[in-house]
Amino acid sequence: MFLARVARSSARGEAQTRAFAAISSSTPSQIGSAVGPYQVFDRHAKRLQKDAAAARDGGARSATVDYVRDEVADRMMERFLDIKRKFNSVLDLGSGPGHFSKLLELDKTAKSIMVDSSEMTLNRDPDSEFEVKIERIHADEENLLQIVKPNSQEAIVSCLSLHWVNDLPGILVQIKEALQPDGLFLAAMFGGDTLFELRTSLQLAEVEREGGVSPHISPMTDTRDVSNLLGRAGFTLLTVDIDEVKVAYPSMWELLEDLSDMGEGNAVIGRRSIIHRDTLAAASAIYKGISPIFIAKQISYILLEMHGNEDGSIPATFQIIYMIGWKPAPTQPKPLDRGTGAVNLKEVL
Amino acid sequence: MTALKAATSQQTTPLRQLALHSTSTCASEASVYGKCIVATYTDVKKDICKEEFAKFGECLRKAMKRKW
Repeated sequence: MFLARVARSSARGEAQTRAFAAISSSTPSQIGSAVGPYQVFDRHAKRLQKDAAAARDGGARSATVDYVRDEVADRMMERFLDIKRKFNSVLDLGSGPGHFSKLLELDKTAKSIMVDSSEMTLNRDPDSEFEVKIERIHADEENLLQIVKPNSQEAIVSCLSLHWVNDLPGILVQIKEALQPDGLFLAAMFGGDTLFELRTSLQLAEVEREGGVSPHISPMTDTRDVSNLLGRAGFTLLTVDIDEVKVAYPSMWELLEDLSDMGEGNAVIGRRSIIHRDTLAAASAIYKGISPIFIAKQISYILLEMHGNEDGSIPATFQIIYMIGWKPAPTQPKPLDRGTGAVNLKEVL
Repeated sequence: MTALKAATSQQTTPLRQLALHSTSTCASEASVYGKCIVATYTDVKKDICKEEFAKFGECLRKAMKRKW
């Protein structure tokens, strides 16, 4: 009883110090600490990684590994085009070089405001590659409300950048605040199954060689949590769906190199700065050895015998969560009140 | 010219050498080790495939002409 009261009062104290985040049920140890949202990612290291990746070989290396983001931007655009509305301006949060903004067309959107924390990535591609007018803002995406005013944006989109945000509930609240009433939020982010093959291989290699595991792949948001998070942030008319992009690589080494060129290196706080070369070599051997099992889990064994890993390539899965939410407005359609139904469902079914 | 230079220097970084040797030069040793792990992957403990890795590691050290 006493404990419960202490927890409640400290939770209240925390709510006052944390402007944009509510207490997440999954991190009970944070209650009472009042230090702000739990820090998972080293944002500074991430910015340096992205800058370095975009600068490598004058941006050429970074451009060759655009395949995942371009594919996802394309699928995001399909969802965007389903929305029958014209926008004067769209804010692209964590835009990178503009994978999504490049696909915008003038008959639907007049202007895109690109926001990214990595200056090199933001300025990688010239303005001539965009059909719409663009404005680039170099700023930390985590502090959206310091960049734009509340109730100022018609639409906010984000293509594969939210997975590096420390305070996901907080950024969603900021996005909602920044939108005008009836404003659109459309985003794609990496889901929890992303790179599970690499995660498994590294864990097995570390356990067998060194006797323990350490974080190499970021913790990622579970699909089931996204609609709850959107709802908690105050969005209405939610649509959440998942999709996978699977890429085959010759071996683990090409995957690691491409991830690094994407600026997607490890930036978890408390990561080990090096991996022993024995562990890396072991992970590479395990990845190759275990790939048939990963493939078999997803397709039938018959298919595996037919086309399975014959070429010796390894699969890498990128799980993508697409989300659409709207800022509430009085003009929007709403569900009817409980008990107002006129037809008894028993009669229909 | 610079591209060629970059390509050759990329070939010789230690990590690239490790990548090359672990997937081609020592592919058979790697495969034996990989199979050993796959056979026990639901219950892996430290050094459970020690012998298999010793052979793989020896091959890598020989190919890399280094000791670690």
